[in-house]
Amino acid sequence: MGMGKDSFEIIVNGLKLVVIFLMMVQLVPILVWVERRGSAFIQNRLGPNRVGPLGLMQLLADAVKFLTKEAFVPSTAKPLLYYAAPVFALIPGAVAFSAIPMSTPLTVGTFELFGQTWGPYTFLVQGYDIGVGIVFILGVSSLAAYTLLMAGFGSGNKYSLMGALRASAQTISYELALGLSIVGVIMMYGTFHLGDMTAAQQGTLHFQFMGYTVAANWLPNWGIFFQPLGALIFFAATFAESNRLPFDLAEGESELVAGFHTEYGGFKFNMFFIGEYGHMMISAGLMSIFFFGGYGIPFVSVDQVHQWASTVTANANWANALVSLIHFLVFNVKFFFFLWVFIWVRWTLPRFRYDQLMDLGWKTMLPWALANTIITAFVIYLASL
Amino acid sequence: MTADAFLFWFLAIVTLGSGLMVILQKNPIYSALSLAMTMVGMAALFVTLNAFFIAGVQLIVYAGAVMVLFTMVIMLFDLKQDIQAFTRGKLSGILKIASVGLLAGLVVGAIAMSVGLLTEKTTDNPVLVGNGMETTKALGQILYTKYIFGFEALGVLLLVIAVGAVALSRSKGGTHER
Repeated sequence: MGMGKDSFEIIVNGLKLVVIFLMMVQLVPILVWVERRGSAFIQNRLGPNRVGPLGLMQLLADAVKFLTKEAFVPSTAKPLLYYAAPVFALIPGAVAFSAIPMSTPLTVGTFELFGQTWGPYTFLVQGYDIGVGIVFILGVSSLAAYTLLMAGFGSGNKYSLMGALRASAQTISYELALGLSIVGVIMMYGTFHLGDMTAAQQGTLHFQFMGYTVAANWLPNWGIFFQPLGALIFFAATFAESNRLPFDLAEGESELVAGFHTEYGGFKFNMFFIGEYGHMMISAGLMSIFFFGGYGIPFVSVDQVHQWASTVTANANWANALVSLIHFLVFNVKFFFFLWVFIWVRWTLPRFRYDQLMDLGWKTMLPWALANTIITAFVIYLASL
Repeated sequence: MTADAFLFWFLAIVTLGSGLMVILQKNPIYSALSLAMTMVGMAALFVTLNAFFIAGVQLIVYAGAVMVLFTMVIMLFDLKQDIQAFTRGKLSGILKIASVGLLAGLVVGAIAMSVGLLTEKTTDNPVLVGNGMETTKALGQILYTKYIFGFEALGVLLLVIAVGAVALSRSKGGTHER
């Protein structure tokens, strides 16, 4: 822990936190555009295409609209909770997103600047590195239920309250299945550390089973081939965690107006929106780290990329930067693919009924996740014989 | 003041302050939210003690699940009558005095048991092993060997509570009365 050993490192690490937060916030308008254009594409419409090229300026127009709307508080609201809820909605997403590793650590050798010698440094391409990575991320993102409860109760509106109750009940129910579905992954890699998990998924598929080495050169060494059931349950549970269709009972328009954010407008509503998209981003990032090799290129290990980069440029610093950049881009390809799947599913599946939702969470996903854990434990024991 | 000391005092004040707010607030919703804040503060204090796994579990289980359920249930009730019932009457007076006694006993007991604890060196403290996974492994090992009885007893206690809750809800006057 600690920010760094000298002023340069501390400044870079501080800037990194700001940049990652801005990345998360700035991604939201782009995702909104993708969502609107994507839904139009799925429903055989055009979507927003008037403002600017491809309708991209629509994002700016929306932002201006959000900022200039009248600030409105319902007379029955509890002002403290009403104002605090949207602010709190940003925190879990931003804090958890900063803990996701997005590329290989960037190593910088010694260099001269301002008449002083600096370095060598190792910068992680993530906000901060916590030893128990996934436990921390789950813990922080589980706090998001409070923002819903605060918004629902603070609004002083029965629709808001009902929406908040539904949302928090759903979040708690699916958190169990979510937590259990990744126990298999944690047991398999023997670590909570997201970077170590990514490192264990390099190259082609190979594993040890009862003293024999099993290898399949036509598959990458990804977690999904070891934990297909875990991946399915995890991905389904993340939809419920981020309160998106088919699990968006919290804002069932037909019965609850808009659920917990009925009374919110303008930028306060926008902050809830950013929180929801933040959850989507965490889920997409975790999905690619647990089951799709994280920032690793399929079939290729980081060392091989390093060797290739050192043939391109002789300068070790530039070669390292190139390696980090390539892995960052690879991570983003996977990341955006899963974000697109979130949008895709939203406009494809209808909403569940509330009892179906609870049945799915408690009677289907939880037992299967438990079974997955037990089977994984047995197989790991057998493989180690 | 070093950064560590500042962090400790800041977190201690936040934790104790929100703990006080739990009992000073009139509205039970605010009390529940303050209690959640206390849980988060405790998780942060665990982080300063290098007990990362316990901090994460504290967040997931207590702050993320248990307190959310509490808050949810409190929101569902109209608590005005219950507050009146609790602030008047002989029984509630006895209960109050009893709980004050219980709390005093707990505080005295905690002080009595922790005298000399700071100078005593423990050998199986999982935090001493290392960072991240090693700590968690060590914690799991002592939990399933040295403290197995307490661990299993807690499991049985939780089972009894779950069975009791189901039995209460299905008995006469319960929500799922047969």
